[in-house]
Amino acid sequence: MTSSGSEAAAIIAQATRLVSPLVPAHEQTLPVLPVLEALLPGAAIRRGSTVEVQGPGATSLALALAAGPSAAGSWTALVGMPSVGLMAAGEAGLALNRLFVVGPPTPGSWASIVAALIGSVDVIVAAGGRRCGDGDLRRLTARLRERGSVLVRVGASGSASRSVGADVRLQVVASEWEGLGDGHGILRRRRVEVRADGRGASASPRSSELFLPGPTGAPQPVGLAPVAKLRGV
Amino acid sequence: MDDPARTLVAWCPDWPVVAMGRSLDQRVAVMAANRVVAASPAARAAGVTRGQRRRAAQGVCTDLDVVARDEAVEARCFEPVLASLDDLTPRIEVLRPGTCAFAMGGPSRYFGGDEAVVKGVVQRMAEVVGGRTDVRIGVADGRFAAGLAARLADPVRSVAPGTVGRFLAPMSVTVLERPGLCDVLIRLGITTLGLFAALPSASVIARFGSAGIEAHRLASGLDPRPPEARPLRPDWSVSTDIDPPADRVDRVAFRARGLAEGLHDRLSAEGVACVRVGIEVETEHGETLSRLWRHEGALSAAAVADRVRWQLDGWLNGSAASRPSGAISRLALVPDEVVPAHGRQLGFWGGETEADGRAARVAARLQGQLGIDSVMVPELRGGRGTDQQIVLVSAATVELRGRSVEPESRDPAPWPGGLPCPSPAGVPVTPVGIELLDRAGRTVGVSGRGEVSDRPVRLVMGAKSAEIGAWAGPWPVEERWWDPDSYRRCARFQVLTTDGVAHLVALEGGRWWITATWD
Repeated sequence: MTSSGSEAAAIIAQATRLVSPLVPAHEQTLPVLPVLEALLPGAAIRRGSTVEVQGPGATSLALALAAGPSAAGSWTALVGMPSVGLMAAGEAGLALNRLFVVGPPTPGSWASIVAALIGSVDVIVAAGGRRCGDGDLRRLTARLRERGSVLVRVGASGSASRSVGADVRLQVVASEWEGLGDGHGILRRRRVEVRADGRGASASPRSSELFLPGPTGAPQPVGLAPVAKLRGV
Repeated sequence: MDDPARTLVAWCPDWPVVAMGRSLDQRVAVMAANRVVAASPAARAAGVTRGQRRRAAQGVCTDLDVVARDEAVEARCFEPVLASLDDLTPRIEVLRPGTCAFAMGGPSRYFGGDEAVVKGVVQRMAEVVGGRTDVRIGVADGRFAAGLAARLADPVRSVAPGTVGRFLAPMSVTVLERPGLCDVLIRLGITTLGLFAALPSASVIARFGSAGIEAHRLASGLDPRPPEARPLRPDWSVSTDIDPPADRVDRVAFRARGLAEGLHDRLSAEGVACVRVGIEVETEHGETLSRLWRHEGALSAAAVADRVRWQLDGWLNGSAASRPSGAISRLALVPDEVVPAHGRQLGFWGGETEADGRAARVAARLQGQLGIDSVMVPELRGGRGTDQQIVLVSAATVELRGRSVEPESRDPAPWPGGLPCPSPAGVPVTPVGIELLDRAGRTVGVSGRGEVSDRPVRLVMGAKSAEIGAWAGPWPVEERWWDPDSYRRCARFQVLTTDGVAHLVALEGGRWWITATWD
C-alpha cells in the first residue's frame, strides 16, 4: 500500500516536471530596439504588461516601442489612432505587413476591441479609452497576463487606482528639434529625454536620452556622431 | 472505379472585366491589391499581363482604365448565366465567378449524347451573356482536364473518353497552378505533364508529400483524390432559421458567417475539410434555392461566408425572373464533398506563420463586430504628400497571411518634391485650418513665383496661438495639372513653435492648413 503510494507520488512529481512551464513568466519577453533597452528592466518588454507612454512625442515613442517586437515577427494593432503617420511607423521599424489599424472605436467599444485583440496580436498600441472604467481595465490587465500580449497606451493619464495602473510608464520630459533654422534648414532629428518608472521591477526610475526620430526616422542613440560630420569626412 | 467522371466546364473569358460593365474592346485592367487580376484583350495586346503592378501596367498602356476588383459583383452578374443552365442539370457547381462545371453523365443520357448537351449550354449561355464575351466549353474526363480543354476551346473542345492522358501529356507543368511544385519540377527537367505523370507515384509522394501526389494524379488524368471507400457519410450540414425572414443580403450574410464558422469547427473536429459546399435557402413562401460552390484548396470559414454573400447577392438582387418571391427564412450549408484534412505546413522562414493565422482570425472577428472597414491594413503607394505615400485598405480585401508591403523596387526612385525623412508621426484625417501670421498680424502669403511675403511669427489655431521659433519653406507642389479632378497646388512649410511642436503646414486654396505634426 505504502509502496504504491510512493510510486504515485513519484509519478505525480514527474508529471509536474513535465507540465511545468519551460520559461518562467518573468523571462517571457518581447525584444525592443537596442536604443530603448536602457529604459526597460531586463532590456525587453515583459509579455502581459501594460506600458503607458506620455508627453510630447508620445506617438513616436509608442511606435518605436512597438518596432522591436514587430521586426521580430509579432503583429501590431493600432487602436483609436486614426491620425497616426504610417510612413513614420514604417521608418521607426514597424513591419507594415504585420500591422492592423483598427477603428474608429465608439466610446463603448474600446475595451471590447482591445480585449478581442489580446492574445491574437502581440502588441496593441491604443489611444483613448479614458472613459474605460477601472473594472474593465482590471479585466483587460488580467487578460493581458493570461494571453501574453502587451498593451501600450498612448497619452493616457492613467487610472487613479494603483491596482490597474501601468507596469511601466514612459514619459518624454524634454524634447528639442535640430536642423530647422529661421527660414532655412529642415527638421532632421529630435533629441528627447525619456524617463521611465513603474511598478515591480521597473519601480526604480530610469532615464535615457535619444534621438526620436533620428535622421532616418528610426530612433537613434545620442552617442552617434551627427550625420553632417560623417558626410564631411 | 478510378476513372474520373466526364465533366463539362463552361468558361466565360475575361469575366472580371465584363462584370464591371466594361467592353472588351476598351483597354481595361481589373486590379486587386495593386496587382492586375484580369485584363481585357485590348489591354493584353498593349502588354498588360496578369500579376503586373498597377504602375507597370499603366506604364505599358497609358490610357489604361483601372478598376478595382469586386468579386461580389462578378458573382452576382454570373448568377443569371447559371440560372439559364438550371433546366439542363440541377447540379451545377461554380468554380469561381465566370467558370462553372457539371457532371455530364445524367444530362448526356437524358438529352442523347454530349453534343446535344454542349449545344444546349452554348445556346443558353450565349443568350444571357449576349455578346459581352464569348463562351468556351471543354468536355473531358475529370474537371481538371475539362478546365484545360475549355481554355483551349474555340469555342468547344471535347476530349474523347479514355484519351485524357494523351491530351494532358504535352502541356507544361505550370498549368497545375502550384507555383512551388512547378518551380522544382522545371528545375528537375520535368517540364510537361506527361513527364511528370510518368514518374512512379511512390517516388512522388516520398519527395513532394500529399500535395505532390494530388498534382501527380491530376497530371495522370485521374481525380485528384482516390475514390472514397467510406460507404456512409454522416450528415454534416448545418442550418439556421431566420426569424423574422430577411430580405437584405447583409442580414443573411451575417448569420452565414456564424454558420460557416460552426460548420468549419465541426468539420475540423472530424478531421475533414470541405471542397464543395452547397448553399441552400428557403423563403417564407416555401421556395428553395440552392447552388454548389467549389474551391480546390479546402474552403475556409471566411471563404464559405464570402460565397454565401455573393450567392445571396446574386439571388436577391438578380433579375425579376430569378428573384425569390419572399424573404429568406432558412439558410443551410451542406458540405457536399469533403476530403481528409491534411492541414497546412506552416512556414519556417517567412511565409505563413501561426501568428499570421491568429491575426487573420481576429481581423475577421472584429470585422464581424464593427463592420467591414473597421480593420485596415496599410499599403504603400507613391506620392509627395503624407496622405498619398501610404493608404489604408480594408483587411477583408487582402490576403493577410504571408503578405508583403514592400516598395516596388529595393531602392525606389525618389519622388521629386516628396518629404524627406523623418516622416511626421501624426497625420490628421482631415487637415486642420489655421492662420499663419507675420509680424504685422497679416496672413503670410506665397507669390506665384514661390516667394514668401514675410516671415511667419505666429500660428493661430482656433482660440490657441503659438509663437513660431523656426521655419523653412516654401516647398511648392503642383500636381496632376492634366487632370482637373485631382489637380492640386500648394506650398508647404515646416514650422517649429517655441513650445517645441513641429508642424507641416501648407497654403492651399488661399488658406493655411496643418497637414501633419511630428508628435
